[in-house]
Amino acid sequence: MQIRPLSELDLGRITAIDERLTGKYKPEVWERRVIYYIRRDAEACPVAEIEGKVVGFILTDLRGGEFGLEETSGWIERLGVDPDYQGRSIGRRLFEAAQGHLRGRGATVLRTLVGPEDDELAGFLRAVGFQGTSLQALEMTVS
Amino acid sequence: MNVEQTTLPKKYHQAVLHWQRHHFPDYGLLPEYWQKYFPNDPEFCLCAKMEVGMGDTIEVGDQKGKARMTKPSQMTEEQGRHLLGIIRAQASTEFGSIQQHEATLARAQDDEDRFWVLRVMAEELRHGYQMFHLLTSQDWGGVTEQKAEDMVEEILSMRTGSHVLDAFNVDYDSFVDNVVFAAVIDRVGKYQLAMQRVCSYKPFAQSMPPMLREEAFHLAAGVVPLRRWVQRAAQGYELVTMNAIQRSFNKWAPRGLEMFGHEKGGDSNIRFGFKNLKNAEAQEQYYEELQKVIADLNTRYLRARLPRLAPEEAEALVARLLRDRSSHDGVSWEDLLALPDRRFFRRKGEPAWTMIGTHGESFDDVDIYVRHLARSLPDPYLHSRDMRQYVETLRDVVAGRTTPEQAMKKTPNLKRVGGVCPCSKSVRWVVEEPEPASTPAA
Repeated sequence: MQIRPLSELDLGRITAIDERLTGKYKPEVWERRVIYYIRRDAEACPVAEIEGKVVGFILTDLRGGEFGLEETSGWIERLGVDPDYQGRSIGRRLFEAAQGHLRGRGATVLRTLVGPEDDELAGFLRAVGFQGTSLQALEMTVS
Repeated sequence: MNVEQTTLPKKYHQAVLHWQRHHFPDYGLLPEYWQKYFPNDPEFCLCAKMEVGMGDTIEVGDQKGKARMTKPSQMTEEQGRHLLGIIRAQASTEFGSIQQHEATLARAQDDEDRFWVLRVMAEELRHGYQMFHLLTSQDWGGVTEQKAEDMVEEILSMRTGSHVLDAFNVDYDSFVDNVVFAAVIDRVGKYQLAMQRVCSYKPFAQSMPPMLREEAFHLAAGVVPLRRWVQRAAQGYELVTMNAIQRSFNKWAPRGLEMFGHEKGGDSNIRFGFKNLKNAEAQEQYYEELQKVIADLNTRYLRARLPRLAPEEAEALVARLLRDRSSHDGVSWEDLLALPDRRFFRRKGEPAWTMIGTHGESFDDVDIYVRHLARSLPDPYLHSRDMRQYVETLRDVVAGRTTPEQAMKKTPNLKRVGGVCPCSKSVRWVVEEPEPASTPAA
């Protein structure tokens, strides 16, 4: 398995992995997201490749000063592994690569949000070291 | 990722800005719209960026294992001349691409596409600035009689037609070229920068990682608009067609292949520790990568035409249509994109001046080949000076009036404009500068 930075050539496979995970084909969404993360820092977004095929990706971003959280934080924003390749520690390898890069760039804490229905992802994140936090996620509908 | 930012001495900095005013007037729009198109990104900085923490040991070549060189005087004269040629060629490409982009930038149909290209241009300006830092911050007197001022002046005086590499001497015909150029020619840039990361001359090696990070966006600024265009083309949008995109690929891919140098060359770069791949190896990887771009665009197109297809089915169908030259459900192989044969329309390297078609077919008759080119290349380009000279030279080669080797040396053959500034202020060196400030990046 090769872990390498995200590139524009990964768009097709990332869109396909997401389609397999969610059942929806959203190329425009991924075009916008991928170019954003490439612009920000492609090395913070490693992809996993097996025999030339992208089988997983993680999108992360380094930010500071948001929500009153002054410390430089690495935000884990999306993680996807092709269902045909799950169970091979691909998510963990991707996470470790991203974590190492973010730490090298000055992140002192990693943060993310997980939906209540996403037990599998929450379990994975706890397994790699995330813990619950006193921060609350709030939202309101405006339309 | 730790980067030191350096500003050029004032006279050089001002010379670059003076050049920008003439050749890149849209530069001023970038800060104005930065937050709209690149929210949260650090502001653009016209400065040299040097990666900190790169190894001190030479990785390849005759001096492998020895300490990386930090001054031109530590190189042999042959090494120094060779590296100076690489730096000057690199600088020429950076300024050259801005001149090409600027001519058709305003023709973008979408503002987002336009501002992406505008950022690409600004970063190319920074890359040229970076090369000037390498030329002016050290004494190259041991390998050239030209002073730093003259080297800078010479590069800034180049125009489309007088640049070092052919790809930068070809005018754009439309905004399709801005985007295809970013996807095809900037990709060569990525390869060159990646190869040069091992360079035995440390300041050059240190210049590469920050440039590579920016180059990654340049490639995306080519591929993402292309993906959107092929979708629109599939939906019947008349203003950007698969045929227009195909013709632009046919125009640029041969020039991209030639940027790697002759297929049999590259030994010196390895021997001197400047790059880690020979020309043919890098060119091969590049061509394979372009095939992936084309396959991705075809799949995007096919899924827009036949939405019920699963991703794997679409990929397989694209491969089958192109292999069998067949049709399926109203989609013909001719509707899809194909990377031209690597020998097509070449004027440098092993296949130079052979008459090979886009699909690898051979031609014996110049007139028939020219008609094939006319069917394969963008219409406005057929009427360009570059094309006319190509056809004239090809006729000379085929008739035996010149050899392919002589013809290779003949291009680019537009005349150098020379070092006079368009505003007639030919004296650019106006202020004695202090030493460059070197500060850690924020």
